[in-house]
Amino acid sequence: MSTSTVTPATARANARAAARAAARVARLARDAEPVRVASKHTLLVRLSHWIHVPLLVGLIVTGLAIYWAAPVFRHAPTPGNPRGDYLVDIGRALAPLMGGAPARSGAVDTRFWLYDRLSLGPAQLANALRLHWLFAYLYMLCGALYVVGLVRGGGWRALMPRVSDPAEALAMIRYYLGVVPHALARKPWPHPPIGGKYNALQRGAYFTMPLLGLLVVLSGWAMHHPATLPWLERLFVNYDAARIVHFACMAVLGAFMLPHVILVAADGWDTFRSMITGWSTRLKGTHHG
Amino acid sequence: MAEAKRKPRGPSLADRIDAAMKRTAAAAAERPDDTREVPRGRLAAHSRRDFLLWSAGVLATAATGWWMLPERAKRTWFPALNDKLDTLAARVGLTRMRREASLNRVLTFDDDVAEALYSKHRTVRTYDRPDPRPLRNNYHGRTPGPEILPAWRLKLSGLASGRTEQLAIGDITSRFPRRDMNTRLVCVEGWSHVVAWGGVRFADLLAAFPPAPGARWAAMRSDVSLNGRGEPEPYYVSIDLETARHPQALLATHHGGARLTLAHGAPLRLVAPMKLGLKNIKAITHIAYTAEEPADYWNERGYSRYDGL
Repeated sequence: MSTSTVTPATARANARAAARAAARVARLARDAEPVRVASKHTLLVRLSHWIHVPLLVGLIVTGLAIYWAAPVFRHAPTPGNPRGDYLVDIGRALAPLMGGAPARSGAVDTRFWLYDRLSLGPAQLANALRLHWLFAYLYMLCGALYVVGLVRGGGWRALMPRVSDPAEALAMIRYYLGVVPHALARKPWPHPPIGGKYNALQRGAYFTMPLLGLLVVLSGWAMHHPATLPWLERLFVNYDAARIVHFACMAVLGAFMLPHVILVAADGWDTFRSMITGWSTRLKGTHHG
Repeated sequence: MAEAKRKPRGPSLADRIDAAMKRTAAAAAERPDDTREVPRGRLAAHSRRDFLLWSAGVLATAATGWWMLPERAKRTWFPALNDKLDTLAARVGLTRMRREASLNRVLTFDDDVAEALYSKHRTVRTYDRPDPRPLRNNYHGRTPGPEILPAWRLKLSGLASGRTEQLAIGDITSRFPRRDMNTRLVCVEGWSHVVAWGGVRFADLLAAFPPAPGARWAAMRSDVSLNGRGEPEPYYVSIDLETARHPQALLATHHGGARLTLAHGAPLRLVAPMKLGLKNIKAITHIAYTAEEPADYWNERGYSRYDGL
């Protein structure tokens, strides 16, 4: 450029343009820079994982509304709890603690406190049954997708139990128990070495959950069709035992969600992202420092 | 004598099992990471796309979930937002009526599955002895009083003869052989009870008074049924004739070795252990055979119409 007169304004504009161009080049260079990623979860596994969340919540919520109609775990009838339903007692005990209702008076009905919060509320049997069947069919479909995803992607191998699991599980429990005290004392607390995608506790949990899913589906069918599937009802001894198995599976599957969410949050962004995008920048042997 | 010749042999069984186990272990062993190099920009773009799709899925699920919630739960969980969200949902076509229709389609699908699983040749499990506890009276309203008994007749219509038959309880018990069975009565609420039933086979009644050709259903009705205030409120169920012809479908007259009490459907009730308890209508007064599916009390109140166990 042979222009002789450069005003300060033009100079500033030129400088800004140059800076923008440089930033663009730098960004392009950065974007072109290769990153090594490991493929963690196949699309089917990711999809079925997330679809499981609302389905499991929906099944528990509607399942409790069905349970309300004829509770399994009961004591002798008491005034205000003629069916002796322990969940009514638990709700009553929790209501004042959670600020849901003043404990002082009988003006507020706390009988259905738990059912109103964890479930659809009392006397919702017809609604609950229809929703439960809807979620149950979707849950079975979703479970099948998950298994197909695990098999096709080879992800099942990371879930198989190993001989070394008991010792490694103990090491992990010791590690988890020590995390908070060591953080408070600002002392190093190294993560035990892990020989794979998951530690032994995770492997145990992720191996057991699909089996529990199968058990909850089988016990559900045993209750739904004891007359047309008598062999299935007998597998659970009888109708009432199938109800108890179904309830127990629900409790464990529901209880699994809490530590699962806490541990994923503790493990970090990469772990959460990998269940959405499928890839992780943590390569085996380098993570959990 | 020459040394016995030893045949060359393959690996022993133990070796082969060992090898098979090693192969299985190797096949199940975790593989090294499947890694690849991707330009950072492409990774970011993929990540953005996946997170947007995921968020859209979360929103869609939340909207659908809210729409499917029964009114009571919506009022309890979202007292402030309930009306506004309802109006918003109705604007995009997610109305309460459409929800009911969708949920009823789920019921129909589940009923179709149940019907496909049913076979009238498969017997329902029977038990050596009934539950010792007394059977619960689950009448929806009040229990009818003894005044219903003297004038009680079973009215049969939709017969091949074209006539309407009126049978007294004695006509039924003297004409057909008595059958006894201990089967489980399963309530839709979830409780169940093994009961000792006695009565006549529905199939025997069908053979003696055959339905008109083309009939596929029995509309069973109790005109003596009462509501909670003790006023007459007929109870009616639909029973497919495939079920009625099952050898364990009884028109019961006895329970626990004695005549049926009024609480359990005196003088005649249906016992179909392959159906939920709510189909096991008490104090039957009418049976009409029909070609079209008849009305069903609990189906009109949001429950299944097939109720197959």
